Amino acid sequence: MSLAFSKETRAKHERLLTRYPNREAAILPTLYLAQREFGHLSDEAILYVADLLGFTPARIDGVATFYTMYNKKPVGKYHLQVCRNLSCSLMGAEHLIERVSEKLGVQPGETTADGRFTLSTVECLGSCGTAPVMQVNDDYYENLSEESIDAILDRLR
Amino acid sequence: MPTFTINGISVDVPEGTTVLEAAKTVGIEIPHYCYHPKLSIAGNCRMCLVEVEKFPKLQIACNTFVTDGMVVKSNTEKVRQAVTGVLEFLLIHHPIDCPICDQAGECGLQIYYMKYGLHKSRYAFEDKVHKKKVQDIGGQIILDAERCILCSRCIRFLQEVTGTSELEFFQRGDHSEISLFPGRPLDNHYTGNLADICPVGALTSKDFRFKCRVWFLRGAKSICPGCANGCNVEAHFKENILYRLVPRQNDEVNQTWMCDPGRLEYKKANEGRLLIPAVREHGGLKAEAWEAALSAVAFRLWETVEKNGSESIAVIASPAFSNEELYLTRKLADEVLRTPNLGFSPRTSGNGFSDDFLIKADKNPNTQGAQLLGISEKKFEDIVRRISDGKVKGLLVFGNEIADFSEEKTGELLAGVPFVVQIGTNEGSVFRAAHAILPSASFVERGGTFTNHAGRVQRSWMGFPPRGNARSGIEIITGLANRLGAGWKFAGEASVFRAIAKSEASFAGMSYESLGEQGQMAGGKG
Amino acid sequence: MELVLTAHFGNDRYRHADTYEELGGYAALRKAISMPKEEIVAEVKKANLRGRGGAGFPAGVKWGFLPKDLSRPRILVINADEGEPGTFKDRLIMTRGPHLLIEGIVITCYALTTHVCYIYVRGEFVREAEIVQEAIDEAYAKGYLGRNILGSGFDLDVTVHLGAGAYICGEETSLINSLEGKRGWPRVKPPFPASVGAFGQPTIVNNVETIADVPWIVTHGGEKFASLGVERDGGTRLICVSGPVKKPGVFELPVGTSLRSIIYEHAGGLKDGKTLKAVIPGGSSTPVLRADEIDVAFDFESLQKIGTMAGSAGVIVIPEGTCMVRALSVLMNFYAHESCGQCTPCREGCGWMAKVLHRIENGEGKDGDVELILDVCDNMMGRTICPLADAAVMPAQSFIWKFREEFDRHIRDKKCPYGSRF
Repeated sequence: MSLAFSKETRAKHERLLTRYPNREAAILPTLYLAQREFGHLSDEAILYVADLLGFTPARIDGVATFYTMYNKKPVGKYHLQVCRNLSCSLMGAEHLIERVSEKLGVQPGETTADGRFTLSTVECLGSCGTAPVMQVNDDYYENLSEESIDAILDRLR
Repeated sequence: MPTFTINGISVDVPEGTTVLEAAKTVGIEIPHYCYHPKLSIAGNCRMCLVEVEKFPKLQIACNTFVTDGMVVKSNTEKVRQAVTGVLEFLLIHHPIDCPICDQAGECGLQIYYMKYGLHKSRYAFEDKVHKKKVQDIGGQIILDAERCILCSRCIRFLQEVTGTSELEFFQRGDHSEISLFPGRPLDNHYTGNLADICPVGALTSKDFRFKCRVWFLRGAKSICPGCANGCNVEAHFKENILYRLVPRQNDEVNQTWMCDPGRLEYKKANEGRLLIPAVREHGGLKAEAWEAALSAVAFRLWETVEKNGSESIAVIASPAFSNEELYLTRKLADEVLRTPNLGFSPRTSGNGFSDDFLIKADKNPNTQGAQLLGISEKKFEDIVRRISDGKVKGLLVFGNEIADFSEEKTGELLAGVPFVVQIGTNEGSVFRAAHAILPSASFVERGGTFTNHAGRVQRSWMGFPPRGNARSGIEIITGLANRLGAGWKFAGEASVFRAIAKSEASFAGMSYESLGEQGQMAGGKG
Repeated sequence: MELVLTAHFGNDRYRHADTYEELGGYAALRKAISMPKEEIVAEVKKANLRGRGGAGFPAGVKWGFLPKDLSRPRILVINADEGEPGTFKDRLIMTRGPHLLIEGIVITCYALTTHVCYIYVRGEFVREAEIVQEAIDEAYAKGYLGRNILGSGFDLDVTVHLGAGAYICGEETSLINSLEGKRGWPRVKPPFPASVGAFGQPTIVNNVETIADVPWIVTHGGEKFASLGVERDGGTRLICVSGPVKKPGVFELPVGTSLRSIIYEHAGGLKDGKTLKAVIPGGSSTPVLRADEIDVAFDFESLQKIGTMAGSAGVIVIPEGTCMVRALSVLMNFYAHESCGQCTPCREGCGWMAKVLHRIENGEGKDGDVELILDVCDNMMGRTICPLADAAVMPAQSFIWKFREEFDRHIRDKKCPYGSRF
């Protein structure tokens, strides 16, 4: 069963291509479209993008593996990305990461058995003033505390 | 022409020259890995750091362009420390595979370590990043990602020269790795060049793997015998066995590259060789000494001419032989045997594959030479017809096959010729049909010149004397000619070439000196 | 106090074109398109507007590097990759005042005869990018972008381009490569972006805040902007304060405000009775200051004089009780994670330092490990294609130089005296 963009995504992609002077520049945004459409960037997804844009799969995969936000492996429904950089650490991020880890029973890098949560530690999210900070899928959760993180996890369960 | 100073030496160079290239012109080698004269500048290895006056930081010589009055130093303590620092970084994850690594002896890390390193490792072994070793990535190449210093020469080659981009960087930071996309191995005809350009043992030749330590090898400059492109190569051998061919730089022909099939051409000098003069008697082969063999062949040819006239002799020349050998072949046919039946065919069995880079459809290295020396392709068809009509009583075949004829067809054709002589290098269909076999030297066992598809006349040098009891083509043809009363006094290929230059318009004015190592265009072809 | 940027950031609707216009927005653009282009550039030069992304390079001078002839179309790229730890000001501008950025972009592109602009937003800022895109759509609708802007005959297209998670893409040539669809590897220079940049065209890359300052400069003049700050470093800056202070956040302050007042007056000082141990002034890549070194004006030259940098104005406050070895270990993990891997010293050096530090923090450090780290620093500094190696070296060196006894103690006692915790 080979992967393909839906008609809507295809149309989105066509519009996207008009913003750049060549197809190469569309690689990053196309990978995002593929990730949203197919869930994660499997080898099949990479082959699809390579074919769509006209580059070798090695070239596309080389780009995909360079950037942290392209997921080569599947992630859970909620990708919990907790910042572990300095300001967040000074404000207790280490404890929070441990707490989430204990609550969900997974180590950073792992996904819960029910596929609901993937826990990752990430670098500076650019919101140090409201540390500790966590990004869940596309959204930031700031000024985290043990209570607020418990509440967030409960809400997302 | 800006003038700049490097290590106190003044150099005048063309506009746009880099410090690294400029230094080369006065014999100063600035250490480097990622730089390659035929690839784009990467500037990532940081080995070529030098001091440039007025710049506070060290600059990379490969991407610093010479300006008038620039003062550069590559031999200061500061530079030396920088280079040692870079080397140390490169070696922290590098596996010390030297005892089992083919690159040993021609390894960039070994070479510069001996010059700039000689330090002990300060890196904790348990911190080492491990990567995949011994990966067959297709073509002629094995990849060992752990040995890789990430200089990107291979990636740039596949992007800029073959345009196939099979290799790429994956991941980031010190987990960066050069690899293929799964299921997409190397897929081009130039993969062998990757092993040449890789400064370390990350990309090595499958064919050469574990066969010979490079310090046992000697080299001879030669011309690839694989097709009419005439790529300049160097043949590497130990005693009288060839181990590999590598490209030699010639910007007019092959830059610094050669194709994969060409690299394997050395094998036929090692395998299936005709090494002993012999005659076929009572269905079996009898070895002969050269004196006896040459005399027997000469006699039989003379006898055939006496009985049936010169027209009953035919000579099929080979476009795999050198200009010198072809010239003497023509001379033998014209002046000694006095037969008009001299021809050649460039058609070979083999797929005739060609591309728009180096590979030519004509798999013979000297078709142009044969043509320029007046040997006719049309006559070949004529000769084949005469043979079929039973009009040929004595046939001299140069080479190992007749055109692209199958074993069967050759056997059938030659069955009706009472006396067939082969002057060739390898067993093949001609060998199996010949009555007399005069074994000739392979492409690395005698010097000579070849004319490529574009008309460039190029020299090839002898690496070692003919194996076994083979002899150079010049010796064999002269031996026959003189036994037939020719009185030739050629003393080796140079003297034959002088004769060619004197009498053949296309070669007028040429000499071995003028050909040098890069060759010259034949007259009217340049 | 004159507020160049944040005057209306408290107004939720300021991010919409209607409110922005009501509050005086796009008047500067109207003025700019009636000015000679050279004059706009001259005002920005007079303003002493130094790049707000971290390098502090004077914007007007950078613009001057574009080739004089217009035969090759130019590109303006806005660096919204805000990734320097401790920095979160561009996010504020993008979410509260995106039209400031857009107006700045149009004026700048007009002045530099540039018809294409890409805003490179870090991949994590999905919501922020949406807000910016909404503002861009509004701007197109009102004729501030697109064809024949305000009847001037000037065309401009702006595209938001999302990064995908790489700190290195904040470096301008890495950003350009990423924009072009490649791995975010910085480029060797020469050639420089102003002559060969994105897609081979002359390119200027400027930080969000830098460009957002342009409308005010056009309205009030470069001299006035310059006068808000100090000599050779004009205007106000958005200063970010994070760490355990009472009021963490972004403060718009005149360039040259004292670091002490930033921490104690504006950010309210340390909370929970904590005392100051150290401060990183300009984002994690700038050398750390001890608590007794904070009486310094926050401007590029003053900070440089005491051996650190204003950088991206990301002030990170470190309280007493913090293990400096652990803090440095966190930072080195960051640089090792973010090193693009292209050139030898950074690729290998960052990873090496991170591993040695990790061992020291865990009580497994050996004699000579600190000297080893400093040696590795020497072999990285100034030896690489881009300054990420320097960015890793500066905290490593400064932490060790200023808090050496902590490192020695970890090695001597074979454990972290702070209990391996923050």
